[in-house]
Amino acid sequence: MKQTESQFQKHYSIFQNIGYYFRFYRQSVPVFLWLCLVEIVFGALAPLFGIYLPKLAVDLAVKGVTWQRMLLTLGAFGMLCLCVRVTSAVSETGKYHLYNTRRNELMAKIFLKTLRVPYRHVEEGETKELYWKAMNIVNNGDWSAIHRMTYGTVSIIRNVLSFLLYSTVLSLLNPLVAALLVLLALAQYVINIRKIKYMERFRDEDAELRKKKSYLFYSAMENQAAAKDIRIFGMQRWLSKEKEILLDWTRRLTQKKNRAEFLYWQLGSLLNLGRDIFAYGYLLREVLGGSVGPGEFVLYFGAITGFSGFVGSIMDSLAGLRSGSLETNHYRSYMELQEEDRKTGQRHVSKLARPISIEFRDVSFSYDKSEKKIFDHFSLKIRAGEKLALVGVNGAGKTTFVKLLTGMYEPDEGSILIGGVDRKEFPREELFRLFSAVFQEPFLLPVTVAENLTFEKEYDRDRAWKALEDAGLAERFRREGVTMDTFFDKDMDERGIELSGGEQQKFLLARALYKDGPILVLDEPTAALDPIAESEVYDSYARYSEHKTAVFISHRLASTRFSDRIVLLGEGGILEEGNHQELMEKKGAYAEMFEVQSRYYAKDQLKKEAF
Amino acid sequence: MTEESRLLEKLPLKQHLENIRRVMRLFVNLDRSYLPWNVVSSLISAALSYGGMILSAYVLNRISGDFDFAGLFGRIILGVVLLSLGWSLSSILNRRIDVKGQMLAEKYSALQHEKIMNMDFSLIASPRLKELRDRIRMDNNWGAGIFTVIWCGKGVLESVIRIIGAVVIGIPMLSYFRRADLGWLGPAALLLCLLVGVCLKLYQYFQKESHYIMFHLPTREEKKFLWNYVWEFAYGSGYYRYGNGKDVRIYNSYDLMKKWTLDKLQTKDFFDYAVRRPAVGEAGSYGVQTALYVLTQIGAYGIVIMAALKGNMPVGSLILYADCLANLMIQTVYTVTSGLELFLAARKQAGILDLLELSDEMYKGSLPVEKRSDNEYHIAFRNVSFKYPGSQEYALKDFTLDLRVGEKLAIVGRNGSGKTTMIKLLCRLYDPDEGEILVNGVDIRKFRHDEYVRLFSVVFQDYRLFSLMLAENIAADKDYDGEKVRRCLADAGFEERLAALGEKGIESYLYKDYTDEGIEISGGEAQKLAIARALYKEAPFVLLDEPTAALDPLAEAEIYSNFDKIAGGKTAVYISHRLSSCRFCDKIAVFDKGRLVQMGSHEELLAEREGIYASLWNAQARYYEAEA
Repeated sequence: MKQTESQFQKHYSIFQNIGYYFRFYRQSVPVFLWLCLVEIVFGALAPLFGIYLPKLAVDLAVKGVTWQRMLLTLGAFGMLCLCVRVTSAVSETGKYHLYNTRRNELMAKIFLKTLRVPYRHVEEGETKELYWKAMNIVNNGDWSAIHRMTYGTVSIIRNVLSFLLYSTVLSLLNPLVAALLVLLALAQYVINIRKIKYMERFRDEDAELRKKKSYLFYSAMENQAAAKDIRIFGMQRWLSKEKEILLDWTRRLTQKKNRAEFLYWQLGSLLNLGRDIFAYGYLLREVLGGSVGPGEFVLYFGAITGFSGFVGSIMDSLAGLRSGSLETNHYRSYMELQEEDRKTGQRHVSKLARPISIEFRDVSFSYDKSEKKIFDHFSLKIRAGEKLALVGVNGAGKTTFVKLLTGMYEPDEGSILIGGVDRKEFPREELFRLFSAVFQEPFLLPVTVAENLTFEKEYDRDRAWKALEDAGLAERFRREGVTMDTFFDKDMDERGIELSGGEQQKFLLARALYKDGPILVLDEPTAALDPIAESEVYDSYARYSEHKTAVFISHRLASTRFSDRIVLLGEGGILEEGNHQELMEKKGAYAEMFEVQSRYYAKDQLKKEAF
Repeated sequence: MTEESRLLEKLPLKQHLENIRRVMRLFVNLDRSYLPWNVVSSLISAALSYGGMILSAYVLNRISGDFDFAGLFGRIILGVVLLSLGWSLSSILNRRIDVKGQMLAEKYSALQHEKIMNMDFSLIASPRLKELRDRIRMDNNWGAGIFTVIWCGKGVLESVIRIIGAVVIGIPMLSYFRRADLGWLGPAALLLCLLVGVCLKLYQYFQKESHYIMFHLPTREEKKFLWNYVWEFAYGSGYYRYGNGKDVRIYNSYDLMKKWTLDKLQTKDFFDYAVRRPAVGEAGSYGVQTALYVLTQIGAYGIVIMAALKGNMPVGSLILYADCLANLMIQTVYTVTSGLELFLAARKQAGILDLLELSDEMYKGSLPVEKRSDNEYHIAFRNVSFKYPGSQEYALKDFTLDLRVGEKLAIVGRNGSGKTTMIKLLCRLYDPDEGEILVNGVDIRKFRHDEYVRLFSVVFQDYRLFSLMLAENIAADKDYDGEKVRRCLADAGFEERLAALGEKGIESYLYKDYTDEGIEISGGEAQKLAIARALYKEAPFVLLDEPTAALDPLAEAEIYSNFDKIAGGKTAVYISHRLSSCRFCDKIAVFDKGRLVQMGSHEELLAEREGIYASLWNAQARYYEAEA
């Protein structure tokens, strides 16, 4: 896939990334490191017992020892072998769950990081992609990058040690033979590196196919939100045909990969054939020469043929390290994104007089430098305590205005003044405290009512109920016995509640009311409400916004009637402003929009007049 | 079944075998030749590995005495080359089996997704399915799912074949035992059996420990610190729903998020439940398995050397027999342990198999739907009552309504008054609990389901488009009529955007989930596509559920003005909170608390001053009327 590399991408070496993981373990579960150490030492020794046992047996039998002596020797050997092997096995598996839960921890950290970076990162394609890639290191269980990196490292060290031990044993026979075998191992290494490189060319295709399958299976076929459409339009046939295409592709790709793997395997197998013939030939000659007895013959033969196993394991782990390190770089790039500075600032919002005025001064803004500007030298003053209505067609920049106002984005040029002071001079955390905002997307967590409403550990129960009351939810909650500790989730609490779309909107409003910030921002707070509930909100608006500066955004132009001033946004800035009366008299864009929307309400009136 | 223990209970052997039989039957259905090929491959690899052992034993026997270098070496080369050829053959075979296995797993997983796609709508949201999916998710949290079944099954098969091989090759060894003094053999065998027995008991204990977390559906309390929960927060829909929230920042909810994710993972409860217990369990079981391996090897060598001490056994044969005896014992142990693991793995598939065997509950008749060229259909709801599954309150109560073709009906009412429910019942997404719905006098349950559903084009409030090809989205099928697609797009007002798509046109993909070359479309454009899709279907009934909620006044007006084109001479039902839109319709039905409370034209309804319609209308219109 063609992808340009992210400017945030970090490039750490494999060693740096290994170090990173082990430092992480040292911090969170030090015992993990000890288990790794034990595994390396005992795991490296373990294979030796395998090749020494037959030699011991042959020696015992050839020498013709007494059975007591034989039992003693074999028993001692057995005990030693038991200790080493069991220790190695226990340390190897015992650390698994220690590592596995740390995976969750990393995942939680990535998630929490998302909440700490500047908001624009959350919406930008580049960092969003980085987020998913970062999450990848903890996905796929034992194929995850963290698994490959930590287990792979331990396995490589262990196998290298075993390799050295075997080499030492063989040097006792003949250093030249050992050297020859090391050469053979090098040849294997070359073949394996080739194979790894070759197999990497399937990686993108693999990833693309996985992405498509995951989309088709989970986001399409099993998508509950789409279930109605699927059934009404009979889309099952369509999606199943798409599935067949993907499965065919999977089959072809798997075959291709397997064929390549077989060829490399066959090359390695030829090397092994040569090695076996050499081993037999060489050892036979030594036996003839008398320098090697049957016992040594068994030992050396085992050592020579066991040699390649280590190389194979090392190579497998190495391939895992390479790809794991690439993925780890995505993770580290994400975790090293600059966090928002929340604390520093020369001014404090507590010093501002209430209500608070707002000013956009010569603000220019675009989401992407290359894209068209949403705001171009845009200026707007909102007086302290003013109730402003913001209207405009889809895409005019209403939601962007809210994002700029609440500090989710910084303007490219110009400044935003809060109470006459440039916003940048306040600590961001304090700035956020000013806003009681209802955004368009519902944001409810599967936690308790109180936590969702207040986000505080110690909350004011009376004020919380009051907020629910004001938003028109208290009645239902009381009727159904919902308390502040009820969960918004049936899984967690059998008495958990589920809210309809309209009720969710009311709950968001209640949250804003509880917070009681001096600036009230409502972005389409009535889209999902029925006419009566909608008009209740309008009727209460004066009360909600008392002593506050308020911005109300809506497609329902009716909502502009109880605002002090209406601002109509269009391409790049303000098209018209004034109160309803003034704008209607102007007969401009606002009047036209109002006309379009009220035509069918008003027609009734016209008809009556006509009669 | 209590939540705490339902998966920990011990199953009788019969049940385990039944589980395995179910999985096997599915395998055979998916790929008939998979199991036989596995048997062949296991036979070959067992033969080759014993062949290697025999070759080295032969060599060892020969070199213990005088030998002719050239002759022996020649035979060795022949043997080694033959073995190598054998392994190549086996490798080719194994790779084919590998592909088969991969595809088997792929098809198996696709079956589950397709099952969910095809099942009754009412089942999807049912508690039964939720429970089943929770269980499947739990079962799949550990291990490799269907692959574990394959691996363990293969393990048992190979162990059995190796036992047979060991017995066949080891038989000549008995002649040495006849010559030896066997007094020691009884106690030695007894001791070994005892040790193996103790080990197996320990193994069972550790396995139980390690399976605790894997097989135990968490209680509500435990759920709060479990993987799934963090997953839901951070990964499931989390990034979009929570991370995306501007609210997180404005309301400073970071601490709350941390409390429910990272902090939970660092509690002692979590450590005990998810780490200590399974870690001890797994380390223990693997340790015991290793101990068993060492014990059987040393034991086998001890026994064979004892026999050799007295019996003048050649050294090569000694090693061969010792290996055979060790193999016999350890493979017997492995048959047991792999067998137990197979039981477990098959048991974990039971949830998926239950899902696949889940049968639709909705009655589906066989009556063909009358194809009327005049589109003369008549719909009637007769005293229909309906509650959503698991809900106490009626969504519709004693509901009666008549609808004739060519009519345009608007439905208005407060949130939760049953408007969308009525559409769902009409399309047979649900069946009424009481009463019946008739089309041309026939209960809709009696019609052939697929034909019946063809009568309706629906644009739901929460319609969805897929990130697949634009044209396919409109046709809702892989095969489409390009001309018709373009015509429908034009009728829905998408013409301009289509022209801007350039060469790819209707073959463009939507969004970027499926391919990076996909196009992004706005909410308004998506809505137009949903309408085009409904047009393409050319169904006699058009149902629109709040199609303009997210649109600005101008876009809204555009949809209204297209309304006649969309509805044409068809029967149309239109749900909206924007009462002004209802004036397009011949009749307006007013719903309240699941009942039809008013019906008539706008003027008639408005005349009923105390009626709900008047209050809804006035609530909205007062802001506009005063002006006019």
